[in-house]
Parts: sequence; C-alpha cells; structure tokens
Amino acid sequence: MTDVTLAHTPPADSLFRRNLRDFRRNRLAMASVIVVLIFVIMTVAAPLIAPHDPNQTDLFRRLQPPAWMEGGDWAFVLGCDGLGRDILSRIIYGARISIFIGVVVIVLATGVGILAGLAAGYFRGWVDVVIGRVVDILLGFPYLIFAIGLMAMMGPGLFNIVLALAYKEWVIPCRVVRGETLAVRELEYVEAARALGAGSGHIMWREILPNIMSPVIVVATIRMANVIILEASLSFLGLGVQPPTASWGSMVSDGRAFILEAWWVSTFPGLAIVLLVLAINVASQGLRDAFDPRFSE
Amino acid sequence: MNALPRLLLATALATCPALMPAAVVAEDLIVGFTLDADTLDPANHRKRETETVIRNIYDGLLTRDPDMRVVPEIAEAMTQVSPTVYDFKIRSGIKFHDGTEMTAEDVKFTLDRVTVEGAMGDGQTSPRQGLMGPVASVEIVDGDTVRITLKEPWPILPAMLPNQQIVSKAFVEANGTAGMATMSNGTGPFKLGEWRKGDAIILQRFDDYYGGAPDIAPVGAACVERVIFKIIPESASRVAALLAGDVHIINELPTFSIAQVKANAGTDVMTVNGTRSFFLAMNLQGEVFDDLKVRQAAAHAIDKDLIIDRILDGTAARIEGILSPDAFGSSELPAVSYDPEKAKALLAEAGYPDGISITMDTEGAFKDTAEAIASMLTNAGIRTTVAVGESAQLTEKWRTAGKPKSGDMYFSSWGNGSLDPFDIFTPTHKTNDRGNSAGYANPALDALLDQAAVEMDAEKRAGMYREAELMINADQPYVYLWVPQDIYGVSKKLSGWAPSADSRINLHDACIN
Amino acid sequence: MSLSRLLERLLQLIPVLLGVSAIAFLMMALTPGDPVQIIIGDQSITPEQEAELRRGLGLDRSLLERFFIFLRNALQFDFGTSYYHRRPVSDVIAERLPATIELSLVALIVALVTAIPLGVLAAIRKNSILDRLATVGSLLGVSLPGFWFGLLLIMLFAVQLQILPVSGRIGYSSEVPTITGFLLIDTLLHRDLAAFGDALRHILLPAITLGLPMTAILMRVTRASMLEVLRQDYVTFADAKGLSRRRVLFRHALKNALIPTVSVAAIETGSLLGGNMIVEAVFGWPGLGRLVVESIFLRNYPLVQAAVLLYAVTYVLLNFVADILYTVLNPRVKL
Repeated sequence: MTDVTLAHTPPADSLFRRNLRDFRRNRLAMASVIVVLIFVIMTVAAPLIAPHDPNQTDLFRRLQPPAWMEGGDWAFVLGCDGLGRDILSRIIYGARISIFIGVVVIVLATGVGILAGLAAGYFRGWVDVVIGRVVDILLGFPYLIFAIGLMAMMGPGLFNIVLALAYKEWVIPCRVVRGETLAVRELEYVEAARALGAGSGHIMWREILPNIMSPVIVVATIRMANVIILEASLSFLGLGVQPPTASWGSMVSDGRAFILEAWWVSTFPGLAIVLLVLAINVASQGLRDAFDPRFSE
Repeated sequence: MNALPRLLLATALATCPALMPAAVVAEDLIVGFTLDADTLDPANHRKRETETVIRNIYDGLLTRDPDMRVVPEIAEAMTQVSPTVYDFKIRSGIKFHDGTEMTAEDVKFTLDRVTVEGAMGDGQTSPRQGLMGPVASVEIVDGDTVRITLKEPWPILPAMLPNQQIVSKAFVEANGTAGMATMSNGTGPFKLGEWRKGDAIILQRFDDYYGGAPDIAPVGAACVERVIFKIIPESASRVAALLAGDVHIINELPTFSIAQVKANAGTDVMTVNGTRSFFLAMNLQGEVFDDLKVRQAAAHAIDKDLIIDRILDGTAARIEGILSPDAFGSSELPAVSYDPEKAKALLAEAGYPDGISITMDTEGAFKDTAEAIASMLTNAGIRTTVAVGESAQLTEKWRTAGKPKSGDMYFSSWGNGSLDPFDIFTPTHKTNDRGNSAGYANPALDALLDQAAVEMDAEKRAGMYREAELMINADQPYVYLWVPQDIYGVSKKLSGWAPSADSRINLHDACIN
Repeated sequence: MSLSRLLERLLQLIPVLLGVSAIAFLMMALTPGDPVQIIIGDQSITPEQEAELRRGLGLDRSLLERFFIFLRNALQFDFGTSYYHRRPVSDVIAERLPATIELSLVALIVALVTAIPLGVLAAIRKNSILDRLATVGSLLGVSLPGFWFGLLLIMLFAVQLQILPVSGRIGYSSEVPTITGFLLIDTLLHRDLAAFGDALRHILLPAITLGLPMTAILMRVTRASMLEVLRQDYVTFADAKGLSRRRVLFRHALKNALIPTVSVAAIETGSLLGGNMIVEAVFGWPGLGRLVVESIFLRNYPLVQAAVLLYAVTYVLLNFVADILYTVLNPRVKL
C-alpha cells in the first residue's frame, strides 16, 4: 500500500489549511478527537479527578462489585480489584501509562524510521540494501517473540517496555518514508534544488520531508493505536508495568483470573482500551481522508 | 458489524444435533490439568506435573499413602540391614503393560539407569540422579531381592524412593531412551492410550494390574476405564471447564474461586495441606538487613493471619520456621506477633527512626500477595516497592550459592514434597547452599544440619531439627510466612479420590458415578 | 516471473535467516537465567551432579562454540534436543505445528469469507448505512485486544450459554488417527461427521478471535480497491456497452479488485502465525505459539531458536507467495 506513487505538488500552506478544513467537517472524526482529548486531560488531571488513591489497598474491599450491584458502594463506582483498590481511580491513572507508552514509542519509532527511510530512499545503493536487510530481519522475527525476548533480557520496567515495542516499530515508518522518498526525489523541484547546488541534507530535510509527512502522520496514528494494544498483550504475557502502577493492560490481564467471579475487574479497563484505541483509529481514518485521499478510496 | 452472522452461525452449529458429539457409554474421568507432561520417561525429567502423569502409568518400589506415610508398592517388604544397606523383596506376579513379567532385574536396571553416570545412553546422565542421594551400588541377592548400598548413611532414602518408577529392561533396550519419551510400558494401573501433545494424555485401564500397594485399599484394577489429563493452563478456563461439567478434577483452583465452585450444584472443593513453605528472604549481605533488629521489625510488620484470611481464603497454615507443621521434626515455635508499633520501635533502635525504603522481588503469580505484604511493611516504616520479575531471572539474582547478591527482599518459596526436613532445611539455610537466598551463614547450624542428615535415630533426628528451628527462629534470616493448602475443584460425580500432599493425582481408586 | 527474480528472492533468504538466528541466539544468551537451575527447581542435587547435567545439555561450552555448533547442525536440519522434552526439537515442533497452522488457516478463511462480500457491498453501496456500519465495525475490529475479546467469547458461549467448549481441539469420544494432522480434514477423510462437528465447535471461538483484526483490515482493503476499480475506464466502458451491471461487477471489477486483498492476506497470514501465542494461551489451543512462549520463560534455547527460524522462513515464503499471487492474478504486472 505504501508503494503507491502519485505526483506530488510542491509545499503549499493553503493545501494544509484546506485539508484541515476537510478534517474538521468530518463529525465522527472530530468526536473521536474529543474523546482522545478527554483521555489526555484525564492523564494530566488524574490527581484531581480520581476519587481515591489508585494504589490504596484495602483487603476488606477485595473484589467489591460496582455500585449498582448488590454489595456495591457509590464511593467505589466501578468496584474494586483483588487488593480492594478502586478500579475507576486506577483506570484514570492507567490512562497515563497507556498514552505515555503509545506516544513515546511512536515518536521514537517515527524519528528513527524517518532517518532510515530518508537515507535509504535518497542515497539508494548500498545504504538502501543494508537498511532493507535489517528491516527484513526484524520483520522476519515474530513481533511478540521479539518483545518477550527483549523484556526477558532487559528485565521488566516502563523504559524497557518502550524499548521492546520501539525496537521493531520504526520499520513501518521507515518503509513508508523510503517509498515516498523514492518517488519524490525524481520530481522537478527536487531536481531544481539539486541543480542550484543544495546539499543532500538540505534536500532531504527541506525539500523532501515536508512533502511526505502526510502519510507518515497517518501511519503513526494507526500504529499508536496498535502499540497500546501491544502493551496490553505484553501484560497478558506477564511482562507489563511494575506494581503498583496501574496500566490498562496489566489491569485487564491481572483481572482475567477473576473473570468468572468478578467480571468488573478486567471488563472496565478493557472497555477503556477499546474506547481510546477506537477513537484514535477513527480519528486517523479522518486524517487519512482529509490529508491523504489516495489511501481512503 | 459482521459479527452478527457469525454469532448466528455459531449458534446454529452448536444446536444442530447431528454435529454434537455422540453420547458416551462409559464416562471418562477427565482431569483439567495445568501443564502437559514433558516426557513419559520416568528417569528423564525433573518436574512434578510430569511425575503426576507418569505415576498413573508406572509404579514405584515404595509409594505414599494419602497421609504421606511411605508404604511398599512393588517391593513386598523393606529391610534395613545396616545404616548404609537396604534390602527390598520384590513382589511376584507383577506384569508390565505388554504382558511380560516384572523381575528384580528390571528393578536393578531402573535404579542403575537413574544413579549411574552416563546410563541414559549418548553419554547422558539421568537428571533425577540427585534425588537418589549417595547410592553406591544396586545388586540382586537371592533372585527376588534388590539390595541398595549407600556410600554414607542417608536416612531419607525410603522417603525419596517413591520418586522413582520401575521400567522394563527389555523395553528400554528395544526402544532406547529416545523411545521412552513418548512410549510407555509400566506396571501401573493405567496404560497409555494416546498422547495428543499439548492437549491431552489419554490413559486406558490396565486389566492385569496386580492391584497396587496392599496398604492402600481398595486393591485391584482401576475403577474407571479411561482417564484423561486435559491440559488447560489458564486458571479461569480450568474453573470454567469444571463448572461446565467438561472435567471432573482440576488442580490449582484459585482461592477466590472456592466460593463459586462450592455454590455450584454439581461441584465441590477439596483441599490438602501442601508442602511448600513461603517466606521473605532478606539479603543479609545487604546494608539494612544485616541488622537483626531490622529483620525482626519486618517480621513484626506483617499480619500473616489477615492475608491468610482475606487473600488465601483461610487455606494456609502459618509458620514460624521453615518447616511445614506436617513435616518430620516440626514443632511449636515462639510466634512473632503482628505489631507495627514494635516494628517502628525496632527500626528506630537500629538507627532508622524515619524508616527505610526497600524493594521486594517476586514472581508475577504472587503479585497480589506481595503487594498486600508490601503495604503492611510500608505501614510499619519499611517503605516497600514490589518488583515483579520472571522466575528464571529471580533465581539467578537470589540463588547465588554464596556469590555476592544484590537486592533487598525476595518473596519466594521452597517445596518439600517428601516432607523431610533435609529436603528444605539444608538448601535454604546451610551456608552458601543452592536455595539460601538470604545469604544466611551460621556454622553451628551447618554442623547441626550435617549431623541430622545422617542421624539414623528418628527421635534424636527430630530433636536436632527442633534445635535448628529454634536457631533460625531467633536469627530471623527469613520472615517465615505460611504453607498453603493445595486446592482442587471436583465434580460431585467423583468418588474414591482424595488429593495427596505431594501434589500427585493418583487415579487408581477414583470412580465416576 | 523470471528465473533470475526467483533466484534473487531465494538468495535474500540467506542473510535474513542468518541475521534472525544470530539475534535469537544472542538474545537468549544474554538473557539472565540458567536453564540448569530452572530444570532442577527445588529438588536436591550435589554440585557434581549439577555440573554433569550442564555438560549433558552442552551448556558447559563457550557461547561462540555453541553458536557455531548450532549453525553447523542447523544446516543439516538438526536443531538439537529440547531441554525438557528430551527429544529432538524438530519432533516437538512438528507435533504442535499442525494445530497452529489449522487455526491460522481457519481464521484466514473466516476473515476472507466475511471481509470480501462486506467490502464489495460497502463499495457498491458507498455511503449507505451498510457502508458506514461496515467501516465502524472494521475500526472496532482492529481496536479490540485479542485476549480480552477471547475471554468475553468464552464467558458468553462456554460459561453462560454452554453451547461451545471452553478449550481444546476436539473431544475424547472419538479417535481420529492422524493423516494430515489437521483435524478438520482428518475427520472428513475418516468420514466421521460427528468428530468433524466436534472439531469445528472447538475451533470456532479461537478462529474468530484470531481472525477479527484481519477481517477488519481485509474489508477495508477490498472496499478501497473495489472503489478504485469501479472508477477505471474499462468498467465505465463496459457499463456504456450495456453489459449488465452484475456481469460488469463480477466478471471484470471483482477480479481486479481482489488482487490487493489477496496479497495483503498472504502477508498478514505471517502476522497471524506470529500472533497466535495469545489466542492459544486463552483457549488452551495446543499449538506452537504457546510452546514457544513457555520455552522462552524456561530458557529452552534450542526450541526457541528453531521456532524463530521457522517463523522467519514462513515470513519470507509468504511474501514470496504474495508476489506470485500478484503476478498470476494481474498479468500486467511484470516482476
């Protein structure tokens, strides 16, 4: 899908504005952006909104049901987990981890991917071959096995989760950037810049990169949704964040043992993941429709 | 949304009678089990779950009754000739599954295969060699008696012998160690039907079974025709399978599922005292826990009873030393009270009036309990962060056998399947031994443990372990926590089966009504 | 496809496999944790016996030596002995592989069978309610964490309604002697309809869970390429010629529109195989994915290395298949 090549137009602010206007008109996409924003606000204002300390254990509230069920308590609306901690507060704080991991992994991966992709697409030759082989090797390695292996090697911890996820993630933006660069580098205005004696660095950063950012951003948002799910998968395999930190992935996976007796422990954080990921996906679909129409239809 | 047609399809398939499995005539006994067997070769593994399966196919010289007493099985009688010589008279008329007669020759072959270096073929030694202690030789005397000679006295030989199962010499020689991994020819109550790797092990009743240990009634062929070990690693799925009536026994029933399984009409819960002691190892080579007062503070900070009551649902026995209350040589010890104020006072005396900050390592499976302990420690001034690690990593970090170690505290456990102190006391407390995670070193205790290991007089030996327990109780290298029960979920259709403390699931006497 | 292109493709396999092996080896070697200690566990052993066990597993050799032994043996298709099963790794993997392949293929079929009609319909009735529902549905499909969705399915169909089994591949009332290793095929070859139905009931939930994200992706690809094709000149031309709408759609448009769908499906099948481990764990499916994850935690080096190599070969071959499909379906593309 990334090999599709179309003629590119030189940079123009007006185009960006028009795209933005298109995006704003897409109601579903705007609603999703608002949902994402609400989650982001939640991460910042967590101490203000959360009704309880997310790590406060109370063994006498172990597996307390949600407020509307028998045995529930409105002070703990969504019930309590296996250590009597408030699930709602943990979901609010957990948003921090999920969003942090999603953003940091994607920023890291996209940065590395842009550098490698630009180099491969612009210089071609042996640079392209070497980067291509590295990409092949990483893609040939099943994602989860790679992540599990890295986590086992480096030990648990938030930083290592980010690394384990980013190590391979850069391959995707790299492929996109390379394909786009290959197409753009032959265009007239790039040729013109080269004729004027601009250096490779200047051409890559100033002439090529701005023109290929749309697909990169679109791909980055989609992958961010995916990274949030992958973090949950790592938790499921026992390689999630360290306690007592709440992350949605670890809440779902710790709660799955109770699913027969206390469905609420894993169901609510699961819904939170679905809501956030869905919102990001819908928003990125909107972005793609507005900024990069050749992908959408 | 495209799920709807699929849901309809699913419903249609499920309700279409032609596609439902045909009714079974004689009901199979199905065990929902956590792990598949690694191999079916009794001499080539080192795992409890594997032994549980093998134990239904192969019998041993000796076995354990439901009360963990060692009784003769293939051996008719055991005589201790001297502290280092044991004679086993072999029962006659025992048949292997292929119909051949079992002889003393097979017993000697089996024991040699385990104890002699390189006896597994290809230059390999049995990984179970370590479970047989200092065996010097195995000989046949008088045709039907097998004599085991030890290099030095080892009083727990009878307690360890149920770990070895008798194989057929001719069968091993014909199929090799490679063949033994997937084929079997034992003398046990069941023979191998089909092994669907990773999914199920299907066993069939052996009709020519000699009956098993005479001390464990009933004696005779097994009650059910087929037994199936169905592998279900996810605990929620295992419980769901029991509640749905798909299986009759499940192991490792989580404590929070007890109420639900009891409330369900067709199922019940069975427990047996386990053999695994849980403890907090404190790094005695570290900066804070080299002080006895700090270790005592940690011990006073933890409300064991509350955790046993709320998280373990009352299914554990608290301990003040390393030994389970059921173990040989265990005795009543001075109890450490739950007293957070005293803990704070002890910390202050040790020079930490503002408390200390530490990290507690544990495995993912014990995260909940570890976090509960951590919050208790924190309340008493020992601010504790839980760090969950993988068991392989933690083992390397903490079980350094004398080499320097990092880390503050380790929430861990040690199993003691034989319930003999030798098996748990020595590895966890002797200086620089394998499981001495605390890095405890006490020459007086080392000498006492060495002495107890070879003491033949049971009463004297028990006294030595009592003395040893008092030593460690005073030094507090670990905070000794509890010994959990093994919890099983069972169908009410099941009869004649009770769980066993060594966590084996012997299905010889089990029936389905 | 030209012969030289084929050769080039095969040659590409070599650096990829070498690189993957080296990374897998290094990763396992640098990971803390000693297989010997894990094997012994809490049971008693003397230091001499421990050393003997280490020697028996070949772990007394140096890292470099072990890597070269691995490479040399791997070239002869000997991947060593599994530390726990005490049998050749290739045997152990071969026993678990059919279950994984069967599950992946059924998931693929579920995905294709739902995604293509829905994608085509959505494209033909662009902007209709159906189109929107399908779009939202596909977005939801890629937003559900697999293990969570699987657990919900178990809760509903196995625990509440009790119409589908909780786990496993097939019941135990019938014996199905192995022919292909794929139960759905073997039961039919034995003309055992009851067993076939039973196997189908077992595979349904895991296949749906595994196939859901792929369904979503394939639907979007089909819809997009169908729209693209419908705009092409020859379709407009055929329309103008007065050919029936149905004939145009199915004879001309669909065939061309499916090219991207099929090649994306081939590539995604690779990630299906790699993503299996979570679904296998949830549904107790006796496949390779679960075995590999367990083996990493147990530091069963030979098995992990062989499995990773197998995944890499599959990945390269599937890309290869995608290329070929692309050429066969679309003769205009010359590779």
